[in-house]
Amino acid sequence: MILLGNAGNKLWGGRFVGNTDPIMEKFNASIAYDQRMWEADVKGSKAYVKALQKAGLVTQNEMEQILTGLDKVFDEWSKGEFKIKPGDEDIHTANERRLKEFIGDPAGKLHTGRSRNDQVATDTRLWLRDAINTLKELALQLISTMVERAAVEIEILCPGYTHMQRAQPIRWSHWILSHAVALSRDVERLEDIRKHVNVMPLGSGAIAGNPFNIDRELLRQELKFDSISINSMDATGQRDFVAEFLFWASMCLTHLSKMAEDLILYSTKEFSFITLTDAYSTGSSLMPQKKNADSLELIRSKAGRVFGRCAGFLMTLKGLPSTYNKDLQEDKEAMFDTYDTVHAVLQVATGVISTLKVNQPAMEGALSPDMLATDLAYHLVRKGMPFREAHSCAGKAVYIAESKNIHLSQITVEDLQTVSPLFDKDVSSVWDYNRSVEQYSAPGGTARSSVTAQIEHFRTWLQAQKQKP
Amino acid sequence: MGNTTYFGNKLWGGRFVGNTDPIMEKFNASIAYDQRMWEADVKGSKAYVKALQKAGLVTQNEMEQILTGLDKVFDEWSKGEFKIKPGDEDIHTANERRLKEFIGDPAGKLHTGRSRNDQVATDTRLWLRDAINTLKELALQLISTMVERAAVEIEILCPGYTHMQRAQPIRWSHWILSHAVALSRDVERLEDIRKHVNVMPLGSGAIAGNPFNIDRELLRQELKFDSISINSMDATGQRDFVAEFLFWASMCLTHLSKMAEDLILYSTKEFSFITLTDAYSTGSSLMPQKKNADSLELIRSKAGRVFGRCAGFLMTLKGLPSTYNKDLQEDKEAMFDTYDTVHAVLQVATGVISTLKVNQPAMEGALSPDMLATDLAYHLVRKGMPFREAHSCAGKAVYIAESKNIHLSQITVEDLQTVSPLFDKDVSSVWDYNRSVEQYSAPGGTARSSVTAQIEHFRTWLQAQKQKP
Repeated sequence: MILLGNAGNKLWGGRFVGNTDPIMEKFNASIAYDQRMWEADVKGSKAYVKALQKAGLVTQNEMEQILTGLDKVFDEWSKGEFKIKPGDEDIHTANERRLKEFIGDPAGKLHTGRSRNDQVATDTRLWLRDAINTLKELALQLISTMVERAAVEIEILCPGYTHMQRAQPIRWSHWILSHAVALSRDVERLEDIRKHVNVMPLGSGAIAGNPFNIDRELLRQELKFDSISINSMDATGQRDFVAEFLFWASMCLTHLSKMAEDLILYSTKEFSFITLTDAYSTGSSLMPQKKNADSLELIRSKAGRVFGRCAGFLMTLKGLPSTYNKDLQEDKEAMFDTYDTVHAVLQVATGVISTLKVNQPAMEGALSPDMLATDLAYHLVRKGMPFREAHSCAGKAVYIAESKNIHLSQITVEDLQTVSPLFDKDVSSVWDYNRSVEQYSAPGGTARSSVTAQIEHFRTWLQAQKQKP
Repeated sequence: MGNTTYFGNKLWGGRFVGNTDPIMEKFNASIAYDQRMWEADVKGSKAYVKALQKAGLVTQNEMEQILTGLDKVFDEWSKGEFKIKPGDEDIHTANERRLKEFIGDPAGKLHTGRSRNDQVATDTRLWLRDAINTLKELALQLISTMVERAAVEIEILCPGYTHMQRAQPIRWSHWILSHAVALSRDVERLEDIRKHVNVMPLGSGAIAGNPFNIDRELLRQELKFDSISINSMDATGQRDFVAEFLFWASMCLTHLSKMAEDLILYSTKEFSFITLTDAYSTGSSLMPQKKNADSLELIRSKAGRVFGRCAGFLMTLKGLPSTYNKDLQEDKEAMFDTYDTVHAVLQVATGVISTLKVNQPAMEGALSPDMLATDLAYHLVRKGMPFREAHSCAGKAVYIAESKNIHLSQITVEDLQTVSPLFDKDVSSVWDYNRSVEQYSAPGGTARSSVTAQIEHFRTWLQAQKQKP
């Protein structure tokens, strides 16, 4: 027998007789991070041995030994007692090594017809499927918090901004819900991605398929996948579902970065619309007065981190030759880091939103008559003037007020009549913020009825989401 | 009345009395590129005026004048006769200016209750919805070409590669279909995106909604949207559908970059598996022998360009305050460039695939006995040896052959028996490439039956896709 070298305990060892470079060993090994998928790997193997037994490649007795051995491996991991040994290149190697230590030779039959190429693709999908369930729950929690806050604070008015400049009066709750609706899209996209994840690669082998009449339908049912992959080369060589997850997370955190930007602005002394609780703020080691919205700043920051993961992985994927290449193991750290980041961000965001204090006098005090310039134009429109002309007239009124250094609402009727003879005493009805918001009663607007309709929509939607399997 | 100044012709002119900086004018104006949406803008306005008439804000007569005027605007654009004037900041300004030149004062009533914020979001969605239809057709064309090629060439065998190293024999058609399946996912994702695009923002105003009881349902039906937006601040301030489209294109072109990589490799003299027709190749201005697969190199390149558009736009979106900000107009050049690029790539890829020549002798000549090492291991497995051990034995056999500088298939039975006594004369049945591919008969594999099933699956799927509205 030929002596084997250092590589003898690798799954692929047979032909290798020289030592590997220890730096290369470390460079190549994925165990440091892919051990996180220990549970998925055990589940995948338990299903696979059942299919092997059905195909006559292991006996009933061997299958039972393997299943029992795998349960012991599972136990060790869940108790934090599994010891990784040198030579455990990855979670698949580690689990099979431990299985052999438990049950001996039958362990060597587990990998018949399987390759790490279809094994890892399956494990990764199993892991991500569960991870998605968790993220969905956290997102629903955040949305629910926002919706209920919007319901409680529906009477509060505040400036609405476009281009960050005062635009029109809105309900504060309309602002809250504008962010909730983006997050609800995130939940729906996440469900779409879960469907894309839920396609089973197992039974694709290394590249060409499975040569032992493995029952892939049995595997599908055991592992609760929706469908089986249609082409073994694509199944082992694609990580679209990871790239999509990374992009999903980028979009979700981009949404949250915008909400954070708004809230940071509103927390400034200049705006004074909201105050964060101390739990989500930090001070300055130098300046005693400082209260910084660090929670929100970090939430805003993570969009870049996560999109970096997405961009990095897409760059890795570009121009890869077909089927499995080692490049693909870049998927996991990206996926795990992204998951952990989104997990934390959703939780912190929920905490921030549920505990921040709103300063109603400051919000309503920031409403200024110039924000009713559109209403002034609409006043003329309702008297029959084309909007384009009415807009111009209102703009001139704004100019007059600024020149005289008075509020728009203080312009005399005489001065207004120099702009248009259609103005008369009834213009005073314009200077009413509640009236202003209440006119936006078409669906999607900021009137009380419309905001209430949004809240009901979300409550119904949230109920339906929680009942989904 | 004050003098109207240089700004009089801007839609927002009223209060501005100083000149703008002409550099700023150019920096700010989007007409250079957003004129591409002229048709969507006219359609959106035609629908809107109908809703205005229903709400009593224009008379029947005014509506008809506006509709007729808009038809004339449409005509000019479609004949390439529309002249853009200085002061036409964007397509919305340009179209309204021209309308006023045609019909006079009633044109000034068109924009009542509408803002460019909800107008542009609507126009962009209308444009993208149509663009998606076109891209889908092109993608289906490419997939169909690939599937039919796979059907014709189903008998051809070739090496399958993992890590770009010879792995196992496969059918050439299995390789083709591995790329077709990724593209079919792209078509399905594109359909999902079309649904996300097909939500109507019109009636959201600038920020707060529509104050004139506009019938948004009427607008939805006129413009054939699936649903209306639920929150006016989100509707005017989000461009998720653009970001998703840009990412979709990045994924699609990443798929094509991988196929291009494979084909460039296969077109080298060293592989000699395929030859591109001259129509898709170029030469060297220096080296007379050169035939470069420039078509494929450019296809591969475009993934970076398009993902750059995606990354750039996401960066633009990050941390934006709520609602509309001018940053958002970065969406269009990204969207148009991405559309044009994908459009061209799909067409060229279809041309390349349909005309390339396959060199069957070279492909089959590259099949080498070492590629049947797995089969050698499976030979032992079928005699009862655990796979793990069989893999090791086959590895040793490979080593022996390499040491003796002979093919794996030339090892004597005696030498094989030093590796395992289970070997005997029947090992000769292993050295048969057709037998090798035929064992992979489980769904997804490279056996004739399984590849045929994939072809049938795609033909059915293509039929169903073409029949969708």
